[in-house]
Amino acid sequence: MLHTSISVLPVFRLFLRAYHHVSFRRSIILLVSLLSLTGGVKAQTTDLQMLSQEAKGQTVYFNAWGGSPAINAYIGWAADRLKAQYDIELVHIKLTDTAEAVSRILAEKTAGKTADGSVDLIWVNGENFATMSQQGLLRDDEWAFSLPSFALTDPKQLPALVNDFALPTMGRESPWGRAQLVFAYDTAYLDSPPASAEALKQWIKANPGRFSYPLPPDFTGTSFLKQILLETAPDKAVFASPPSADAATHLAPLFDWLDEVTPYLWREGKNYPANYTEMVRLLGDGELTIAFAFNPAEFSNAIAQNIIPDTVRSYIHEAGTLANVHFVAIPFNASAPQAAMLTADFLLSFEAQLRKADPEIWGDPTVLSMQKLSAMNAAQFEALPRGVASLSEAELARTLGEPHPAWMGVIEAEWQRRFAR
Amino acid sequence: MIGRQAVRYIILLFMGLPVCAGCAGIILPAFGYFPPVGHTAFSLQPFYDLAAYPGLLKSIWLSVFTGFGASLLSYIFAMVFLACLYGYSAQSWLFRIISPLLSVPHVTIAIGLYFLLQPSGWIIRLLSPELTGWMRPPNLNLVPDSHGLALLAGLVTKEMPFFVLMGLSALSQVRAHHLLSVSQSCGYGRFASWFLVIHPVLSAHLRLAIFIVLVFSFSVIDMALVIAPNTPPPLAVIILKLFQDPDLNMRLIGAAASVVLIACIGVAGICWIGCSTLTDYGIRQIIRRGWRLSLPDFSGLARWSSALRNFCISVIILPLIFCFLGLISSVIWAFAEVWRFPAALPQIWGMRGWAVNADLFMQAGWNSLILGFSASFFSLVLAIIWLETQQSRTEQLTATARAEKLVYLPLIVPQTAFLFGLQLLLITLNLDGQFIAILWAHCLFVFPYIMLSLSAQWRRFDSRYTDSAAVLGMGRAAQLIRVKIPMLGIPIGISFAIGFAVSAALYLPTIFAGHGRFITLTTEAVVLASGAGRQALGAATVMQMILPLIIFIVVEQLLRLRYRRFSAFRF
Repeated sequence: MLHTSISVLPVFRLFLRAYHHVSFRRSIILLVSLLSLTGGVKAQTTDLQMLSQEAKGQTVYFNAWGGSPAINAYIGWAADRLKAQYDIELVHIKLTDTAEAVSRILAEKTAGKTADGSVDLIWVNGENFATMSQQGLLRDDEWAFSLPSFALTDPKQLPALVNDFALPTMGRESPWGRAQLVFAYDTAYLDSPPASAEALKQWIKANPGRFSYPLPPDFTGTSFLKQILLETAPDKAVFASPPSADAATHLAPLFDWLDEVTPYLWREGKNYPANYTEMVRLLGDGELTIAFAFNPAEFSNAIAQNIIPDTVRSYIHEAGTLANVHFVAIPFNASAPQAAMLTADFLLSFEAQLRKADPEIWGDPTVLSMQKLSAMNAAQFEALPRGVASLSEAELARTLGEPHPAWMGVIEAEWQRRFAR
Repeated sequence: MIGRQAVRYIILLFMGLPVCAGCAGIILPAFGYFPPVGHTAFSLQPFYDLAAYPGLLKSIWLSVFTGFGASLLSYIFAMVFLACLYGYSAQSWLFRIISPLLSVPHVTIAIGLYFLLQPSGWIIRLLSPELTGWMRPPNLNLVPDSHGLALLAGLVTKEMPFFVLMGLSALSQVRAHHLLSVSQSCGYGRFASWFLVIHPVLSAHLRLAIFIVLVFSFSVIDMALVIAPNTPPPLAVIILKLFQDPDLNMRLIGAAASVVLIACIGVAGICWIGCSTLTDYGIRQIIRRGWRLSLPDFSGLARWSSALRNFCISVIILPLIFCFLGLISSVIWAFAEVWRFPAALPQIWGMRGWAVNADLFMQAGWNSLILGFSASFFSLVLAIIWLETQQSRTEQLTATARAEKLVYLPLIVPQTAFLFGLQLLLITLNLDGQFIAILWAHCLFVFPYIMLSLSAQWRRFDSRYTDSAAVLGMGRAAQLIRVKIPMLGIPIGISFAIGFAVSAALYLPTIFAGHGRFITLTTEAVVLASGAGRQALGAATVMQMILPLIIFIVVEQLLRLRYRRFSAFRF
């Protein structure tokens, strides 16, 4: 219940802000349509048979961040399955930053290329989705709601499935997985981890050089800033709507926190890891004592791969940690839209979601609803092994909703102004 | 004859069009003209926005310091290196050491330095805990350091061998031995002869190489991503980030930043020319006054001068040694399973880095191989056509020399400045992401380097051989194919290998023209450098090192085999 109220509220505020000038009557209509979005999403279910006829032999260029061997291997497995099942060629284009692909699609739109684009499917959420949506770079016929596998999800239970960082997805992207910010510490150097922003600050100052965060605007790095923001700000509710003129006041607690700890960060805050995998690697080298990632299974995976020692354990903050859903979307000019839809459907299928949730494969939590699965299938999810450094679902229950994506830009700009000079 | 000119124009168009279109695609947005996001009025707003960009001045300073510093240092090192060793027997083995460095991609060297010098790097692992007492890596800004010294060192190790090789080729053109013996017979010592007589001639010959190095060092991205500081990064990295920002309006600022970078390079070039004019003036004054700059020949001083020479050589060799150690530590990482700090060597050896990415490496390696071969071959054919169509018009030599400068345009315009515009051009031609487009982008860089390495040798060819063939009734094509190309087999083979190495090292052109769809060993190495395990990065680095090296060795062995019966064709 808590979950629902956190996620619906921002959308509601967003609409009120965006439409405060239109008549009351219209806002009621909007509100109703909004509720229908978060509630039961109704769309014609796509006929898989017909789709697979059209998609046969097509090649899907799946643009997805490629910095993690575990994820790359999982996508490789999906490619094999799609080849066998639908005769679709899935090619993983490994990005260092999803913005690369966004700017490429934009360049194509600029050049008037409305078909045969270079990207068929893209792994996005949050800011990139907001940008692509706004620039009209996404296929917008609610295709994602029409996927047969979408029926296995429950947006009522998990509103973030149709509200990406508080922005309604409008069926422009199909959910793929869930993520939650999880911290980890090396028990060889630390007995009990600091489980709040305040405790972390004290710990950093007492242990200089052993904590850092990925260089914003890296996704995980900015997420960490949002985490601290939500923990330190007296009034969390303001972050559900876009920043107003007094944004600086609301951000002050975050930047006070950062000003205080930066001299005690790894490399005195003069350099930052490029992304979370580098940060995990630094944890393994003993340069850092505490690291974090946006995947609850990350640290068990890294132990299995010998990247970090097996003395590492996970924890989350007492106030809860940032949680969100990540998606796949089809650009407006995809060269193989049918095959891309089939791929999105497959990625959301029980088979693919189960494998993805296996910590020995990837360990990304599923977006499927256990209530909508058959008892047998649900039991298979229950039976998945947990890595030595993974927390249980119950321990992960404390979550914080994402702020409105517009805050990200403000935070990043202010961070740049203060710390990147 | 007209046909011949037309061929040359086509080649120029092939090289010049992407660069010019690319530049237009930068300069227009820089001045506020960018219709895709609705900017159709010219203004200076992008520059104002850029001025407000955090850390801009520091980032420009970083680019200038590393770019100009690396160019100057590598030039001075190369000159001292040549002065110390030219004509001595040590020259040949040192030459053997540095020439493989030319074939190693820039990013590989950067990764090697990173593995070696960072606080959890190999050097500190070797010294810890016995000498340092450190059980955990120290919290030091070693690599990347805040001043960009690591980037500077990486650039020097890569550019110095380039200057040395270009210098050796120039020295053979200016008949340095002859100049040296004349000036020494006039009573100038060895160093004085170099400084007063050979260096002025050499520097005039090297001017193009100097500009290439300046432009490259200012606009390098792949190395900077690995070993340059990131708060803020050098200007070139900021430009890349701005162009990749999801917010399209950032493109305008990125374009403005590109223009600023070009301006910085322009100023640096003018400074360089100013300095060299001043030096030349000073040299003329010294010569006019008849100063010999020689030390009185007491035996003690003579020993000092040889000590000085040894000192110079060791200073120059130091970055090369670091570079080699870095490459060795990459190899160790490639075969490490578990290597925890502060162990000097891995606790458990294994092939994890290879196993996890086996398919990837196969594909990337294959792509690099195919692309390198075709870009190199195609550029070589173009270069031979260019050089052949030129020679018959000796009366227009000055005009062609001017045209030839255009061939080097892709090396003299910063990559960051024209590649985005090039991407738009490719999309318009519907070539984006296709192999042919990537090949084209690679040829833009491979062709000029092949010209650099081939043209001098080609022009020095004794035309009496082809004249004899003509007298014996051979047509022009037969003269070329049956006489000239076989006789120039060695420079052609070496140019091919250089072209391959250039192609294998290209990062930004592959990313921009290939849509990121086309992976090569270099693009994979940059991805792995900021993620995943060190084992995989080490393995990628090893692949990167050996591929061009294998090509060099194969070419060398083939040439040896082909020319073993001819004593005149020695390496």
